[in-house]
Amino acid sequence: MSAKYFQHTALLFSFVLLMAACKEKEYALPEPKGVLQNDVIKRSFGPNLVGGNMEFAYAMALPASKGKLVSAEVEASIAGAPATWLENRTYYTNNSGVDVPTLIGAASVNSGNKTTVTFTKDTMSSTLRYYYYAPEEARGKPVTFKFTAKSSNGETATYTMGPYNISKMDMKLDLKPVDGAACYISIEDMAIYTAAEAATKAGKIDLVYVYRPAPYNHSFVSPGSNVQYLPGVTLPAGVNRVSKLVKAWNLRDQQLARLQFGIFIDDLDFQKLDLGDSADFAVNMKAEAGIWVETADKKYRAYIFLNALVNGTKTATISIKRYTM
Amino acid sequence: MKKYISITVVMALMAFAWISCSKDKPVDEDGLLITNRQECFVSNFELLGSDFQTVRSKAPVIDTTACTITQEVFFGTDLKNLWPQFSLATDAKLDPKITGRVDFSDLANPKQYAVVSGNRQIRKTYKIIITVQP
Repeated sequence: MSAKYFQHTALLFSFVLLMAACKEKEYALPEPKGVLQNDVIKRSFGPNLVGGNMEFAYAMALPASKGKLVSAEVEASIAGAPATWLENRTYYTNNSGVDVPTLIGAASVNSGNKTTVTFTKDTMSSTLRYYYYAPEEARGKPVTFKFTAKSSNGETATYTMGPYNISKMDMKLDLKPVDGAACYISIEDMAIYTAAEAATKAGKIDLVYVYRPAPYNHSFVSPGSNVQYLPGVTLPAGVNRVSKLVKAWNLRDQQLARLQFGIFIDDLDFQKLDLGDSADFAVNMKAEAGIWVETADKKYRAYIFLNALVNGTKTATISIKRYTM
Repeated sequence: MKKYISITVVMALMAFAWISCSKDKPVDEDGLLITNRQECFVSNFELLGSDFQTVRSKAPVIDTTACTITQEVFFGTDLKNLWPQFSLATDAKLDPKITGRVDFSDLANPKQYAVVSGNRQIRKTYKIIITVQP
């Protein structure tokens, strides 16, 4: 008897379930708001370096019946370097996937923290790129951006982005040390010196680039390291600092290597770096490898990426990210 | 119908009872199974540098009779920060355990690692002799 009741209940319940499953939701066309609207995306990735640019795409539109766009403005919390600009062209992507520009106004004007483009074309929608070049004052500080669009009917739309941290570190790309010539590397100056120059800056020389045939190959050695790692190298007087070096592999920072790998070294990596009981030489290096360096006075930590190594000319191409402790 | 159910239940009960009666498998202090295996040797040896790339310039020479591993490393290897990796006989374990980078720079006093067999009865101490490529 009770089993029968149970059966009925189960059957009824399944009917209910079936009905619920069959119900379709009505789709309603979204109603346009009918006002000036805007939206922003950040297009650049990775740490934001001083001197480097941050790219945004700022989109704004209103119904054609309501008016046209008058101006677009970006206000940064810290004024950008003079190179900062807001594009005066809007882009659309054609059938071949190519971004085609259309001129919409005069070139942008920087005034204080603000970058403004005034529209000269009668347009009701536009997407403008904004390039913010981080100035020296922004180093290690957060920056926020306020995007504002104005239309001819007096409406204003704003969109706030950030805060974004501007990195403390510096970057230098494509230095070219040459064995036996300009081979003295200074992390402090992020530069390469010849023996004559190095003699005048002995306290700043952290590494010597040396190339010898196998098994030595391309090597980066502290001037104060064991002489067996500096075969045939006569150091200028006073060049004797001992830096700490740790080899790294598969760490192809995108900003240094400019390759397809989505790896970025940021301030935090340098802050947490512990070179402990490391060697003072990096012998037999391969292209696309890297070296973590800490200078003798512990003032700087750096990551040196080896973009290219050429045996024939005994040269290297290196890119450096450096963090001041 | 009832009969079938009761048979199933009885069989399940018996299975449980049988499992609970069997003794726990013996494990050692690391929670690893102690087995009957007596094999106790190193089958392969690898040394990684601070960049986790091999520093071996040649294949290792493993003498299971003399219990030595002779390994030549590249010129310019940072001997203070090496990561050794041992391949051992089935069920065997290594003592001391490798928990991080090891300092092999004292070439005169080679590092020693003991291999303990699966039954934990046999213990062989291997000497790691490092030579640097000239």
